[in-house]
Amino acid sequence: MGMFRIEEADRPHIVRLLIIWVILSAIGIVAVAQISYPPYDQSIQGQDQASTLKLLTVLATPVFIGVVMMTLYSAIYFRRTTTELVDGPPMLGNGPVQIAWVAISAILVLFLAVVGIATLSSENVAQAVGQPGRAIGQSGGQTGSGTAGGSGPELQVQVIAQQWYFTYRYADYGGVETTHLYLPVDRPVELHVTSLDIIHSFWAYQLGVKADANPGVDNIFHVTPQKTGSFQVRCAELCGLWHGHMADSSGQVVSQSDFDTWIAQQQADFDTISKAVPSYAPFYFPEPKLKAG
Amino acid sequence: MIRRISFVGAGVVIVMAAMVAFVGLFMLRQPGQLEGTTTKLHLETVAAIGQALEWPRPNDPHPDWVGYLPTTTWHVPANSTIQVQIDQEDGASGLRNPFWGKAFGIEGGTMHVSYFDDKGNPQEGDMTSIDPTTAAHTFAIPDLGVFVPLLGISDAAPPNSMNVITFSFKTKGPGVYRWQCFVPCAAGTLFGNGGPMSTIGYMGGTLIVT
Repeated sequence: MGMFRIEEADRPHIVRLLIIWVILSAIGIVAVAQISYPPYDQSIQGQDQASTLKLLTVLATPVFIGVVMMTLYSAIYFRRTTTELVDGPPMLGNGPVQIAWVAISAILVLFLAVVGIATLSSENVAQAVGQPGRAIGQSGGQTGSGTAGGSGPELQVQVIAQQWYFTYRYADYGGVETTHLYLPVDRPVELHVTSLDIIHSFWAYQLGVKADANPGVDNIFHVTPQKTGSFQVRCAELCGLWHGHMADSSGQVVSQSDFDTWIAQQQADFDTISKAVPSYAPFYFPEPKLKAG
Repeated sequence: MIRRISFVGAGVVIVMAAMVAFVGLFMLRQPGQLEGTTTKLHLETVAAIGQALEWPRPNDPHPDWVGYLPTTTWHVPANSTIQVQIDQEDGASGLRNPFWGKAFGIEGGTMHVSYFDDKGNPQEGDMTSIDPTTAAHTFAIPDLGVFVPLLGISDAAPPNSMNVITFSFKTKGPGVYRWQCFVPCAAGTLFGNGGPMSTIGYMGGTLIVT
């Protein structure tokens, strides 16, 4: 065990650093654990993301404090005090220290890998990540099949991006199109994100959903809202003149009964134009590509 | 003694004057001082080909672009009714998203349209929506929930004709609201959304509510 011997002169520094590190790390961990992390808890998937972010931050805190502490401590206690230029003591390496930092880093990284894999394989996140977008030509088109892409009890909602607004179609309710996104609480939702023209990105951060909206692609994401209230929708892909205005703060998670009332009202309000809107399709194509003069 | 009292008095006067000025300025900045008023907004939509009938644009760097005239920056009062008249001179090019063929967010849910039918005969009536393929442009202020499709002029209409579309909507509090056209009407551009659709001053602009 001789290799673990610490020089007598270094012991006060080691003790001092350990005490400072333990105290500051404890304070730091308590502090960062109090922070409310985005994307918050309006959906199960959002809460999972927030929990993972909190865990990563808590684990990173002692490391961050250790690095900053060592830097400051060295700058204060080991600074050169004379103007004379002399070599410092030779650094020949320290086996125990190297073993320790490699081992601790490996444990941390492996722990995070296990947490990440377990989280990814969990049902909620696996659903949130969703399925690969259906590529152009697999199905659909401007006058597509008229059926939603998914099956089961999930509410099918199509998010249609266009320069510069999002609209939404509810496949389970006759494909009615609306200007705001309403979702019932505690009901799984399958979002089909697509675009009518160029590349956009649908971002409802309180729900923990951010999905590319590409023309000719049905990008599928899953979310289960668990808390009523409003949420924001915005475009997260620079998409032209009014990209900065392509946002809507009127998204709502409501009770199932309120949702039923709202969707019935939408169906009544947009009944006339619904007849002119094409059948529900997984995606649409921007036509024409070039406007004639 | 008198000197001290003078200082105190002067101080009180200064403080009071500052308070009056602050309150006065604050009140001047209050929204809704024109609440309940009705403001008229008269606009013209000009075709890419052809001259504007009402507001010629000799100095326009892009005289062959579609556009709203005479300006695309509109100043209106907060919490008021805005009566809009749009003299629409462009032909139909159709909506990419047919959903925008319905008018909503306007008072009564209807717009009054004077237009020419397929035989060139003048017609008029109230409409809640139009055939999406007949739209030339839209008048849309998304943050106010106002979306109005503008019927394209019939091919059979007499030369230098225009459709006249009138409707009203209400403003909310002060702010700068963008408006835009949802018809991909920029001729000669990719997906019809370049040129005048992507340049402020033509098919998009701001509604400044004070």
